[in-house]
Amino acid sequence: MKAGGAKAGVLTSLYRNRGLVAVLVARDLKARYRGTFLGYVWSLLNPLLLLAVYTVVFTWVIPARVTSDVPFPLFLFAGLLPWGFVSGALLDAAVVLGDNGPLLRKVVCPPEVFPAVTVLSHMVHHLLALPILLVAVGVAAWSGVVRFPWTVVLMPVVLAIWLVAVGGLALAVAALAVHFRDLKDLLHNLLNIFFFATPIIYPLEMIHVPILRTLIQANPATPLVLLYRDAVLLGRCPSLTAWIWALAVAAFFWLTGSWIFSRLRETIAETV
Amino acid sequence: MSAPPAVRLVGVSKRYPLLTRRGRLHSLKGALLQGQLWRLNEEHKGFLALSDVDLEIAPGETFAVIGPNGSGKSTLLKLVAGILQPTAGDVVVAGRVTALIELGAGFHPEISGRDNAIVNGMMLGLSRSEVMSRLDEIIEFSGIGPFIDQPVKTYSSGMYVRLGFAVAVSVEPDVLVVDEILAVGDEAFAHRCLDRIAKLQRRGTAILLVSHDLGLVEQLAQRALYLKGGTPVLTGPAGVAVARYRSDVASDEAGTESTGGTPRRWGNGAVTLDQVEPVDGTGRPVRLLVSGEAAGIRAAYTVRVPQDDFVFGIAIHREDGSLVFGTNTDLDGWRPERLAGTGEITLEFPRFELAPGRYVVDAAVHARNGLAYDYACEVASFTVTASVGWPGCYAPRHGWRPRGPAMTPPSE
Repeated sequence: MKAGGAKAGVLTSLYRNRGLVAVLVARDLKARYRGTFLGYVWSLLNPLLLLAVYTVVFTWVIPARVTSDVPFPLFLFAGLLPWGFVSGALLDAAVVLGDNGPLLRKVVCPPEVFPAVTVLSHMVHHLLALPILLVAVGVAAWSGVVRFPWTVVLMPVVLAIWLVAVGGLALAVAALAVHFRDLKDLLHNLLNIFFFATPIIYPLEMIHVPILRTLIQANPATPLVLLYRDAVLLGRCPSLTAWIWALAVAAFFWLTGSWIFSRLRETIAETV
Repeated sequence: MSAPPAVRLVGVSKRYPLLTRRGRLHSLKGALLQGQLWRLNEEHKGFLALSDVDLEIAPGETFAVIGPNGSGKSTLLKLVAGILQPTAGDVVVAGRVTALIELGAGFHPEISGRDNAIVNGMMLGLSRSEVMSRLDEIIEFSGIGPFIDQPVKTYSSGMYVRLGFAVAVSVEPDVLVVDEILAVGDEAFAHRCLDRIAKLQRRGTAILLVSHDLGLVEQLAQRALYLKGGTPVLTGPAGVAVARYRSDVASDEAGTESTGGTPRRWGNGAVTLDQVEPVDGTGRPVRLLVSGEAAGIRAAYTVRVPQDDFVFGIAIHREDGSLVFGTNTDLDGWRPERLAGTGEITLEFPRFELAPGRYVVDAAVHARNGLAYDYACEVASFTVTASVGWPGCYAPRHGWRPRGPAMTPPSE
């Protein structure tokens, strides 16, 4: 028997080491706010302040008109929140194996644990911020601006799809970043491009140039973002096509990512 | 020796790629278009850190790897620990392996010693409940006391290492891999580490150890592998491997070429041992010795280059390599003056109190710094007989004095 199951698949190994993953996620969260006065409150405060700034700017400074029946600050926030999860998790995944180099070189430690921990702890942060959005939507609904989106009950499924997709990407990014140090810089730029190529700060309906619209629809991040916003804000039950498209994207990312990771797995300890 | 080995290496080699300025891959284009990325393990260029090592370590055995820096010792350890994968050959490890390669690796500076101990224990393969049940013992052993709830960044380097060691040994592994760690910590902690290692040895843990402290190797290990430039020079009883290594170091320092020879016999040939034989009390060569009677080991030598720095040594061990007794003229206080021509020297035992069984003799003549003139392993053997088949190696004269139990003494 090899410790950590060298020959086992990524998923099997993660399941076997689930206890370690859980403890490491807890450690990440504990370490993050250690020594700050507000502690976990920062996880709530950060998105709250962001939402406040958007509300002021896009309501009074640049009154934004989007062809959407919800207030723009809420619309924007419902897009930025999951995007923050993606970009945070991927940027951290690019450095996580390097940062844990001593562990990989000196201790028998399955490397797939680290990208998994990165993604999960970003997911936990995202879950801590999500109530702010829900409360804001609730307030808007109570004051009659929007109807309360009962589709939020779909959120667990939507988040699970996000988790699988981002998990796969993070595995690929982590393993490739060990061999290509350039990947981190490349990733920054890619995330910037995709930020604008995904309907985050604008609704898809606003794009009237056909070729541009096709491109944005072909962007694999688009179905995920649409699914998220439909469920949490717009109160639309996503169409079957949307579900299938999003599931296909998540499955593709996971399978590709874990395949790349297992191909490079044995070279990680000696390269980091 | 019939139990399946705890560690088995068959024809193991490890090749490291030589890194270019950009890392392992020469270009992005090559990596992606020509598929270099998928063939990283199939490279045939690079630096051969370890070549063709065969090794078996039994459960409960302590095995050392010695050799100069860069000889592949740590690579071997990492292969056994499963941190690295061999380029060729097979590494088979039975049971749970724990590596003490860098203590406290992966401690997070911002969180407490207690939390770090939990995370570290789980990384070493314990479940959460296993760690929790051992936590008190870990904290006790580390001797960190009230600081255990302080962030690790406030620890001294000694505290760091002590906590790391305490966690690692609490795993109670089947195979323990130790890389030069007993050099850290103060005297008291070093003793406790040795105690703990002895406890693991008794438990049946196979220990694979790398150390430059040759005294410690002789003290802890039964057998050793001497590696040089990634190639095994010899595998044998720890004392023999250490002697060979010392001799090589001494001849390197003297600027002469390295000691030649085979794994069983080496030396620069300035003096040769022509014949080594067990003798009885009258000086007659024999193969059968009687336990408790007078006996000796006699070595006849020929000198090619006269010497004024020389030591004769004799070691007696069991066939499995475990040392029974060893001494040399230097240890016993004999000062060398002049060695020339031919002659013989006998190590005499007025009462040869060995238990019955077969024994093997190593004999050597070397300089005081370890430079071997002639070092001959298993150059002679003999069998000890006794009226009673006592187990063990040592059979001193003894008797029973019952005060209370009613017993009939043995008939004379």
